[in-house]
Amino acid sequence: MIELDQVTKTYDGKNVVDSVTLSVDKGDFCVLIGPSGSGKSTTLKMINRLIPLSGGTIRIEGQDIASVRAEELRRRIGYAIQSIGLFPHWTVEQNIAVVPRLLKWSPKRVRERVESLLALFHLEPGQFRDKYPHQLSGGQAQRVGVARALAADPEVLLMDEPFGALDPITRDSLQEEMRRVHEETGKTIVFVTHDMDEALKLASRIAIMDEGRLVQVGSPREILNSPANDFVLDFVGQSDLGLKMLACESVETRLEPAASISRSAPIENIRSQFGQADHVWLLSPEGQVEGLLTEAPGGQDDLDRSLRPLGQESHATPEMSLKEALSHMVWRKTGWLPVVDGDGRLTGEVGLSKVMERP
Amino acid sequence: MIGSRSLSASLPRTGALPWLAALFVALTLFMGQSAPLFEWLLPGLDNPVYDRHSFPDLVLDHVVLVAASSLISVFIGVSAGIFATRSVGQEFKPVISAVSAIGQTFPPAAVLAVVAPLAGFGFKPALVALALYGLLPIVQNTMAGLETVPSATLEAARGMGLSKREILTRVELPLAMRVITAGIRVSVIVNIGTATIASTVGARSLGTPIISGLVSQNVAYVLQGAILVALLAIVTDLFFERLERFFSVDRN
Repeated sequence: MIELDQVTKTYDGKNVVDSVTLSVDKGDFCVLIGPSGSGKSTTLKMINRLIPLSGGTIRIEGQDIASVRAEELRRRIGYAIQSIGLFPHWTVEQNIAVVPRLLKWSPKRVRERVESLLALFHLEPGQFRDKYPHQLSGGQAQRVGVARALAADPEVLLMDEPFGALDPITRDSLQEEMRRVHEETGKTIVFVTHDMDEALKLASRIAIMDEGRLVQVGSPREILNSPANDFVLDFVGQSDLGLKMLACESVETRLEPAASISRSAPIENIRSQFGQADHVWLLSPEGQVEGLLTEAPGGQDDLDRSLRPLGQESHATPEMSLKEALSHMVWRKTGWLPVVDGDGRLTGEVGLSKVMERP
Repeated sequence: MIGSRSLSASLPRTGALPWLAALFVALTLFMGQSAPLFEWLLPGLDNPVYDRHSFPDLVLDHVVLVAASSLISVFIGVSAGIFATRSVGQEFKPVISAVSAIGQTFPPAAVLAVVAPLAGFGFKPALVALALYGLLPIVQNTMAGLETVPSATLEAARGMGLSKREILTRVELPLAMRVITAGIRVSVIVNIGTATIASTVGARSLGTPIISGLVSQNVAYVLQGAILVALLAIVTDLFFERLERFFSVDRN
């Protein structure tokens, strides 16, 4: 979809971007990440020719971007920056409608498009259409900024640290929304950030840059599991690298079979379970997990005393990240969590020692 | 926020414009009939009311002179300001700033003295002098207004595929309009005052009775011209204030 071939940018004899070769597939969410001055923003801006190339070529769907008029190219590519990029003298509707109007869409079509985009970002059209940017909160303004970039239904969306100026909570919800919008629209997105957590959360592919060079390209998992060099290792964040790795993996990957027995079973049967297992999940007569038995109960009366209750709040699901599962284990002081399906039925368990294993 | 809004609403600033404008028109029309008033105020004058030209004529001449010179100032000033902030004009920016500043540092009488021998007497030298004199605030405010447009806004405009011309006319000028209008306001108000001196080179204006009164030591003539000039300046200023508010981005 987007191919960068030996792309170079030189300022005052210094290569700010140094022969970067990268290809982004259709529907990819590609995050360019690196410390400040690494050339990530420059690389992004060369894609829509805001910055001219010093060397190399960029092709979008096989077409060299140099062969198109810059304005024409940019109208085909969505571009979103921090919220201050909204036009302060125009309403939300006028801001979103910029490119469709440049492309001479009919007023009716423009209006419908604005409405559906506002709805996509959960902004009530009747309430927001006629507001000016200074009447919006930071999060709302940024939603409008992204909606504006999507207005003319571009094939490609370029985003330059769009959430950099937002507070952590708003940023979190915007990231969630961005992920959803990406899934719903299937756009090809190139996204620049310096925040590794943001990259891990959004990216299908991460491209790490340092001093103008592309250091490593890969899925979040590949980057975490096998950092190409010390720079990547440092950049990804040694301090909680382990947790970041766990954040990209689901409980499903470490699922183990679990021994379980119903509370209504005869006590001898419960006791006999401990012949094969050192811990057994106790189920309610309805089949819900009640808790964990780590030693054989002495008798029927003893059952509740030796039961370690693990209610619904501490059940894991196959889709849950290992990071969250680990957090539950630490919080509940247990080495195992029951893994349940959508109906609350036990499908297996996840244990601390299994989490520690490399995949 | 609520406090300041209710305060400004209680001030009679916007409400004053129509009343002062009506007063100005009334005084213009009836200044010729004000002889009894000035006789009572300044007893012993041979001729208590200036009567060589009618006051409506003088006001019209004054307004035409100021309007014509201001239009020239706006056209040249805004063009120069735009040029100086384009990438091609960056080098000329200091020169443009300096030239427009020099235009203003000369006392208006000196500008007239320089222009009159070149352009002759009458309307023309006054027009040139006033146009030059009013240039500086317009040039400077145009440059300042265009430079305050946030770079992120410009980058967004470029990134979305607006051409340079579209960026200027749809984004930069509308956003700079309030500051540019403020410059035009200063320029016009100053020129309303300065145009009185233009009568020394033979251009007819509200300065004509003032100069004539000074020469013949007739205070009534001076007052009659000065009152009308002052009112004209105040009315114009209030008008521009409204205009500026109209152009400001948040119109509250």
